[in-house]
Amino acid sequence: MADQVAITITADIRSGDVVDLKTLLAEMNGDPAQNRVLPFGKLLRVHFARLIVLDAVTDLRGQLIPASLVFLSDVDGSASAYLGELVEALGSGIDRIFRHCVGYPGGESVKAADQLAYLRAKTVQASAVYVNTLGRTAIQVRREARLREEIENFLDRWHGLEAARPGAVRAALRAFVRHDSSLAWAEQPAKSPGVLFQLREWLHFGAVILLLLLFSPLFIIGLPFWLIVLRLHELSDPAPDIRPDRKHVRELTNLEDFVAQNQFTAVGLTKPGRLRQLTALAILWLLNTGLRHLYSRGSLAGVKTIHFARWVFLNDKRRLLFASNYDGSLESYMDDFIDRLAWGLNAVFSNGVGYPKTRWLVFDGAKNEQAFKHFLRVHQVPTQFWYSAYNHVSAVNTANNAAIRAGLSGRMDDASLERWLLRL
Amino acid sequence: METVEREDIQGIVATGYGKLVAAYYLLLAIDDPRLTGSWLASQTTVITTARTGPGTDALNVAFTHAGLRRLGLSPDALAGFSDEFVEGMCTPHRSRILGDEDDNSPEHWRWGGPTTTPVDVLVMLFASDNGLLEDRYRAMVSTLPSGGLREIDRLDTSNIGMREHFGFADGISQPVLQGLGGGGPMDTVATGEFLLGYRNEYGLYTARPTFSRELDRRHVLPSDPSDSKQVDLGRNGSYLVFRQLRQDVRGFWRFLDGATKRPDGASDPGTRTHLAAKMVGRWPSGAPLVKAPDRDDPQLASANEFGYFNADRLGFACPIGAHIRRSNPRDSLDPNPGSASSLEVNRRHRLLRRGREYGPGLTPEEAVSSPVAPDDPERGLHFICLNGNVSRQFEFIQHTWANDPRFNGLYDDHDPITGPHTPSGATFTMQAHPARKRIRGLPQFVSARGGAYFFLPGIRAVRYLSGLTT
Repeated sequence: MADQVAITITADIRSGDVVDLKTLLAEMNGDPAQNRVLPFGKLLRVHFARLIVLDAVTDLRGQLIPASLVFLSDVDGSASAYLGELVEALGSGIDRIFRHCVGYPGGESVKAADQLAYLRAKTVQASAVYVNTLGRTAIQVRREARLREEIENFLDRWHGLEAARPGAVRAALRAFVRHDSSLAWAEQPAKSPGVLFQLREWLHFGAVILLLLLFSPLFIIGLPFWLIVLRLHELSDPAPDIRPDRKHVRELTNLEDFVAQNQFTAVGLTKPGRLRQLTALAILWLLNTGLRHLYSRGSLAGVKTIHFARWVFLNDKRRLLFASNYDGSLESYMDDFIDRLAWGLNAVFSNGVGYPKTRWLVFDGAKNEQAFKHFLRVHQVPTQFWYSAYNHVSAVNTANNAAIRAGLSGRMDDASLERWLLRL
Repeated sequence: METVEREDIQGIVATGYGKLVAAYYLLLAIDDPRLTGSWLASQTTVITTARTGPGTDALNVAFTHAGLRRLGLSPDALAGFSDEFVEGMCTPHRSRILGDEDDNSPEHWRWGGPTTTPVDVLVMLFASDNGLLEDRYRAMVSTLPSGGLREIDRLDTSNIGMREHFGFADGISQPVLQGLGGGGPMDTVATGEFLLGYRNEYGLYTARPTFSRELDRRHVLPSDPSDSKQVDLGRNGSYLVFRQLRQDVRGFWRFLDGATKRPDGASDPGTRTHLAAKMVGRWPSGAPLVKAPDRDDPQLASANEFGYFNADRLGFACPIGAHIRRSNPRDSLDPNPGSASSLEVNRRHRLLRRGREYGPGLTPEEAVSSPVAPDDPERGLHFICLNGNVSRQFEFIQHTWANDPRFNGLYDDHDPITGPHTPSGATFTMQAHPARKRIRGLPQFVSARGGAYFFLPGIRAVRYLSGLTT
């Protein structure tokens, strides 16, 4: 079993290169898997990848934040294995992208070691990461999707299926899979998290709880002060409802709704002052812990349509980036946010400039439907290049495919057999 | 509870004028806005309201964004409308999410597309019989030249009974505005979901053009309920979505006939109807499959107080992908299917449907057997619906529920009745014992032939609009 890791690489873009880089990314985006620069289809450990050009902006103090490139990947295994593979398999493409960035080694062909050193140096840690189902690899997702299609086609060819006994259907499906050499792998259940992995996770969770308990007296003393100061901030923080520029929205929608999934990338300035920064840090730490231990099995507090998501501080925590891969339309994604995740989004994003007014950190905010939708669109940035390794399956499909495969092996009583057949 | 100002609301919000069986939809262009202003002023007393209701005839009026601009509405006010209305139905992204691609693409449309004359005004005429409708139409047409208006097209309707062209009772499930009252608990929806200037299901006011009182020189507009210093151009108005949808009735019944033939090659009308009912989710009479799984039951024709979760969670009676189960999933979706919170989410995606059929009727038998005449007339539905937030209501339903092949855990099933064309044909899955049954290669049965987003103003807003150029 492999962990999934979120890799974030960000580098400032050489002045004058922004347009060239955007043009290159747009061209690559025509065929994310097979394009000539970075054909991500070759990298089997990648679930999702994206490259975004962030335009230069000024921060709250009027200081310039230069234009930068953000390169995100969600991959199986370790970051170092991925970067090594990236340099080895797509080295020339890495050159073509990053030679537009400040500090990238010069020359016609850059040595792999130098490329690697650069990518490592430009890697930043995400503050919080969401993985829909920890341990499910990209290869597994694709194989299981094909398995399910083959099984469905087999059932379609079965005349008299309606008269068959449930047990006979399963037996026939198992025989079908066994006798097809391209599917026989499915007879074995997917690798489950190893004992060591589980032990590590439990130890981590235990340590977190212990830490929280240890510091709880401090929290309890500090909490009322923090809450009062926070509330005062909430009352005075400006929260203008700004409608997104229509041209900006068109640029975004031109990149949406082509396949089963969509990408979302947003960047915003964090509110000034220590309180907001500390609050954001603490909330993201809590969020990351919760995501890791409570929400890594197919559902984020009831929302089952998100594959991967991450929160990353940029520019000395002056900005926060949020990126996700989700199923279906942005409208339904935003509605899920409002209906089910408002408290969590409020706790994080209310530390960002311009967020709809919250009350005691978790109330209101996103519940102000249109202001919240405006805020998201205003802060969303075009994802110029986006790759998905399995763009025709939803996260719910993926989980169902895994359960279909799991049901091909082992014993099953009548009730579970009936439930399993319903997955087809 | 907010009570609504019936006298300021166009009648079609409150009723589809079922007794007025004859109707024309006139698509008009504004040639001379100054004349149109006075024409509109003369119509304000004639427009049917939700207070007076219809007698033997009715008239309602709506405008496209271009039409409002032609009438002289200020840029600020124009920009206060929703993006969907401002941009119109035909942007590339909107075509993608509405399924208006390939054959359905707006460039092939009869009206409303990029290659046809832009529509400014929609006039809806209703009458108790065809003769009266013809009279009203002729009277209306005679006022157009002096009103600076030109008829682009007249969309006729046909009265083929209470059913749509595929032969199914239609319009059974309609939301009821809280402010108008009289609905069951399942169908009562906040007034603001359909009328601007009232609270919606979130308890908030949907964005709409509001502006300073000074810009309303003649003091005709209502106050903005959320800010007394402002007047509200949206109040008592609604967005009217119009789509002309052609129905391939022969293709529909012939496909179903082929899919349900007996082993000896003979047609099996009973099974054919059953498959059609599975695709719709109701029997031809209207009886829902959830309540009448095996055969039609006219006793249940108007049954509408039902959910899916307790009665048919797995879809054995009414398939998960059936037309009515995806255009109004009731209590079947997350969070917590079967709960009040599932219903709460569902209430944010409802439409008030006001459409009518066009073209002559065709029975399943005729559709299957009769030869196609070269001049076989087009038939279909003038789909009209009202909503307060087009992106959260109409577009959401179309995109996330009807057209998404992965709706509610499915894989490649889009709406079996209204879904757009797919190269290899669509799939329809019927949950069954011991395993599902799939119908593959479904062709497209319904295609878009025209459409536009309109704004259906309140009466005072019509009066305001009539005075902008004078």
